[in-house]
Amino acid sequence: MTMSWARREHVGDGHTCKCKIISTFTSERTQMCALGLRWPERLAFRQAGPVPPSAHPLGQGPPGGPAAAPRLGCCSSGTAGGGAAPAAAIPTALARARGFKRAEAPAPGPRGRAEAARTPGAAMPGDHRRIRGPEESQPPQLYAADEDEAPAARDPTRLRPVYARAGLLSQAKGSAYLEAGGTKVLCAVSGPRQAEGSERGGGPAGAGGEAPAALRGRLLCDFRRAPFAGRRRRAPPGGGEERELALALQEALEPAVRLGRYPRAQLEVSALLLEDGGSALAAALTAAALALADAGVEMYDLVVGCGLSRTPEPAPTWLLDPTRLEEERAAAGLTVALMPVLNQVAGLLGSGEGGPPESWAEAVRLGLEGCQRLYPVLQQCLVRAARRRGAAAPS
Amino acid sequence: MQQRKSKSRTVEPLEYYRRFLKENCRPDGRELGEFRTTTVNIGSISTADGSALVKLGNTTVICGIKAEFAAPPTDAPDKGYVVPNVDLPPLCSSRFRSGPPGEEAQVASQFIADVIENSQIIQKEDLCISPGKLSWVLYCDIICLDYDGNILDACTFALLAALKNAQLPEVTINEETGLAEVNLKKKSYLNIRTHPVATSFAVFDDTLLIVDPTGEEEHLATGTLTVVMDEEGKLCCLHKPGGSGLTGAKLQDCMSRAVTRHKEVKKLMDEVIKSMKPK
Repeated sequence: MTMSWARREHVGDGHTCKCKIISTFTSERTQMCALGLRWPERLAFRQAGPVPPSAHPLGQGPPGGPAAAPRLGCCSSGTAGGGAAPAAAIPTALARARGFKRAEAPAPGPRGRAEAARTPGAAMPGDHRRIRGPEESQPPQLYAADEDEAPAARDPTRLRPVYARAGLLSQAKGSAYLEAGGTKVLCAVSGPRQAEGSERGGGPAGAGGEAPAALRGRLLCDFRRAPFAGRRRRAPPGGGEERELALALQEALEPAVRLGRYPRAQLEVSALLLEDGGSALAAALTAAALALADAGVEMYDLVVGCGLSRTPEPAPTWLLDPTRLEEERAAAGLTVALMPVLNQVAGLLGSGEGGPPESWAEAVRLGLEGCQRLYPVLQQCLVRAARRRGAAAPS
Repeated sequence: MQQRKSKSRTVEPLEYYRRFLKENCRPDGRELGEFRTTTVNIGSISTADGSALVKLGNTTVICGIKAEFAAPPTDAPDKGYVVPNVDLPPLCSSRFRSGPPGEEAQVASQFIADVIENSQIIQKEDLCISPGKLSWVLYCDIICLDYDGNILDACTFALLAALKNAQLPEVTINEETGLAEVNLKKKSYLNIRTHPVATSFAVFDDTLLIVDPTGEEEHLATGTLTVVMDEEGKLCCLHKPGGSGLTGAKLQDCMSRAVTRHKEVKKLMDEVIKSMKPK
C-alpha cells in the first residue's frame, strides 16, 4: 500500500542501539507508518528459531530455571486454561465466540455476508449528541459480486514485521504506537491521579514498602475501535465487545504493574485501534505495556501479546499472528500475553472450536514463543524513546 | 534567569505570555501570524475508503471516511448524506473522559457539519445513485489523537484531505432485479467542488490577535475566532463562540490572513495529491 506525505519539518536522526539482540533485524520495504514517522526506525523480523529463555539478553531466565513451565499469573475466562481443562469446557467457549460471530454461521465463509445485513445509522434514534444520519445503512460489500480471495498459505510460525514507537503524544504521560502488518494501535497512559471512591483500609503492609492490599492503586483500561477500523463501520458507542477487551487488557496488565507503589491512585490506559488487520487485542496489549513503560510507571516486566487462530476443518493448524482474512475464517482464536523476562503468562483469552486439549496447549506454546521473539523489538523501541527524551530534556 | 522564567510560567502564565507578546512573538518562537508546521499523510488506513492524518505542531487528528448505502431522505430523494462526527477520546488529553461526546466534541461536530453544508464541498446530488431508492452516505469520522489547541483547523483540513483521497466503488442498478451491483475493483474519486480551509485565532486581552493557538494559549485567551475561507476568497463560515468583541478592522485582518493561509494549505494539498497519483 502506498502512502504519501508532505512535510515541512526536519526530523532528527535515529539512533542505532548497541544492545545485544537474539533475532536479527532487517529493514524492509520503503513504507512509512500511518503517523508519518521516520522510516529507519522500522524493524522487521527474520525467522529466528524458538528462543530458549536462558539466552535472553536481559535476564537470567525465569526464577524457576529454564525448564519451568510458565505459571498462569492471571487467566481470563472463556478458554481451556493452559490446555489442562477437559474437553467439556470447549463447547462452552464456542458459545461465547468472541469477535468471530460464529454462532450463526457454523461453516466458515465470508464473514461479512454471514452477519445480519443491516447496521444502524450514524446515531441511535435517541442520541442527540451526534449528527444524525440515515436510520439504517448497509455496506457496499454485501452487494459486491466477487468473493474475497482465500488467504494465501504461509508458514504457521511467521510473525509480521512490527513497527513500535514510544513517546509520541505530547499530552499523555506515556504513549506508544504499534503497527503489525495492517493492525495499527495507539495507546496512551495518564495518571497516577486520585482514585475516585478510594476507601480507607488497613492491614499489613506488603513487602518492599508497598501499601496494604486495600489501598493498592487501580488500573483503568479503555479499549476503543475507530469507526473506520474494520471492514464494516461500527457506530461510536462501542458496545459489549469493547468493554470485554478493555477488561482483558486490565487483567493482563495488572500482574506486571507494581500497583502497590501507587496507593489510592488510578492509572488510566486508553487504547485506540485505528485499523484492524488481525490480532488486534495482542497489539493493544503490547502497545499498552510500552505506553506504561514510557510513562515511567513501575513495572515488574513488560507484557507482550501474541494472537493465534486455528484454520477450519480440513487440516486444522494453528497460525501465529493471523491477518484479518485468516481471523475471519478461523474456527478458533487465542490471544496470549506473556511477561518475557519472568517467563510468566499474564493473560490468556481464547474461544472457538479448538479441537482436543493438546491442540490448545500447542497453541499456547506457539504463542509464548512468538511473544519471546517479539521482545527485543520492544526493548529497542524503549531505549530509543529514552534517548530521544534525554536529548530533548535540557531545554 | 531560566529558573525564574519557568517558575513564572506555571505560577503566572498570563504575565509570562504578556512579556512575549509585547515583543510580538510567542514562547515557542513563532510570530503572531505564523502557523505551526503542518504535516499531512493520506491513504494510510486501508479499511477506510479514504483517510488522512494531519499534524499541526503537536495537535494530531485523523479522519476516516466510510461509504455505505442508504435510502435517500424522504424530503430530498435526489440527495445523499454526509455525516461528520468528531471524537475527542481520553487519550488525546486528560481533560476528556470516556463516555458520550462532551460539549467540545459536539461543538466541533456541528462546526464541521456547518462547513460541509455552507461550502458545498460535495454536492449531495452527486451522492445519489438512484433517486428515491439508493444513495451513498459518507460517514466522516474524525478522531483527535493529540490535543494541543486549534482543533477546528486540523479537523477541517483532515476532512478535506480524506475526501480528496476517498474512492467509491462503481454501482449499477440491475434492471430486472432492482438490486444494486457493486464492482469493488473499479473505484473513482469523489467530485470535490470547493476547498474550504479554516484559520483559527485567539484574542488576548481583548486586543491582540494571534494565529493558531496552542492548548496553553487557548486556555489563556479571552476569546477565539475561526474563519473558513474558500478558494475564491469567499467566506464559508465564521465561528466566534462568545468571548471578547472585535472591531470590524480586526475582523478584516483576520480574513486576509485566512486567505493567505488558504493558499499555503492548498499548495500542500496539491503536493500530496500529486505524489499519490502514480498508483
